Amino acid sequence: MSALDASLFDASSESDVAGDSLAVAPAEGKYVYCIIRHQAPRDFGDIGIGGGARVYTVHHEDLAAVVSDTPIVIYDPTRENVLAHEFVNETVMREFTVIPMSFGTVFRSEEDVGQLLRSTYEAFTDVLEKMKDKIEFGVQIRWDRDRVVESIEQDNDEIRKLKDEITRNASSSTYFARMQLGRLIEGALEDCASRYVATVHEELKRVSVASRSNKVIGDRMIMNAAFLVNRSGEKAFDEVVKELSRRYEHLLAFKYTGPWPPYNFVNIKLKLEKAN
Amino acid sequence: MAVERSPSGSSLIDILDRVLDKGIVIDAWVRVSLVGIDLVTVEARIVVASIETYLKYSEAVGITQPMSRPRELAQADELERVQIENAELRRRLDQLGA
Repeated sequence: MSALDASLFDASSESDVAGDSLAVAPAEGKYVYCIIRHQAPRDFGDIGIGGGARVYTVHHEDLAAVVSDTPIVIYDPTRENVLAHEFVNETVMREFTVIPMSFGTVFRSEEDVGQLLRSTYEAFTDVLEKMKDKIEFGVQIRWDRDRVVESIEQDNDEIRKLKDEITRNASSSTYFARMQLGRLIEGALEDCASRYVATVHEELKRVSVASRSNKVIGDRMIMNAAFLVNRSGEKAFDEVVKELSRRYEHLLAFKYTGPWPPYNFVNIKLKLEKAN
Repeated sequence: MAVERSPSGSSLIDILDRVLDKGIVIDAWVRVSLVGIDLVTVEARIVVASIETYLKYSEAVGITQPMSRPRELAQADELERVQIENAELRRRLDQLGA
């Protein structure tokens, strides 16, 4: 380990000049995309980050890290880099169960990657077993707020009456009444959103192995969820998503993506110890 | 009309929503806060030299907050404080009993 220790700190000087050094710096580091279970060396082609580096495997027993050679630099999450990271994972995923690595992880040497596999062998083997033949799908729902407000106004007696009253007595209607209406609509909207989300989530849970709700992105989105699905159950899941999107097509817009590597269902935080 | 599935590579925002902080994440904190502290939850201990690059990257995208302390450490401190307090209280109880 002492050789590793010696090289612990000098990565910084190289990464400071990341921009210019890409072309000239020796490709001595390893960018890691994912971990798979496989014993024989594999070549996935010249699809790696940084302009099409060769993507291949580094092994420890029956575990393999999918890597490409890279200078030791910090990769910014640019469109090109992020797409390259994702594309490699997608490619590997066609044949293997993967544990995806989060973006931008560069190891200093092949020896370090081997050390990673050795020290996490049991954990990774266990996770790979759990993730076997499972893929992730993303389902997001956005709604057209105005349309939903319209339908709420039609269906909710209290809101309709109050609104009629306010429009009839436009000049005399109080600030309070308007506030009251706003509050009622806001509340009804929230109820409505959580009802939709609960229904959709419930029905999709029945055809998936696990699910996870993420923070919504933007103010039109009411659901941002990920579902872990057995490869054999892909078709059933597909059909339920399509059925739901048809059922709610006047109110909700669905976005359905995948298959993804199981990013949302693998949460491995590795803590590093100093080599001694 | 039913929704069609789009392949995962087609939406940058959905990719970013996943790859930046999910999957296997190397915890950049530990290198910074390592001195003699036994961390509370350690799923796996690995020894590699590459963390320098990851750390810089996560600072660049704002994942880490270099000025604040990691939660584990704050908890460790809290634990220590409570343990000291406990010992002190126990000592006083003993005195009262005697």
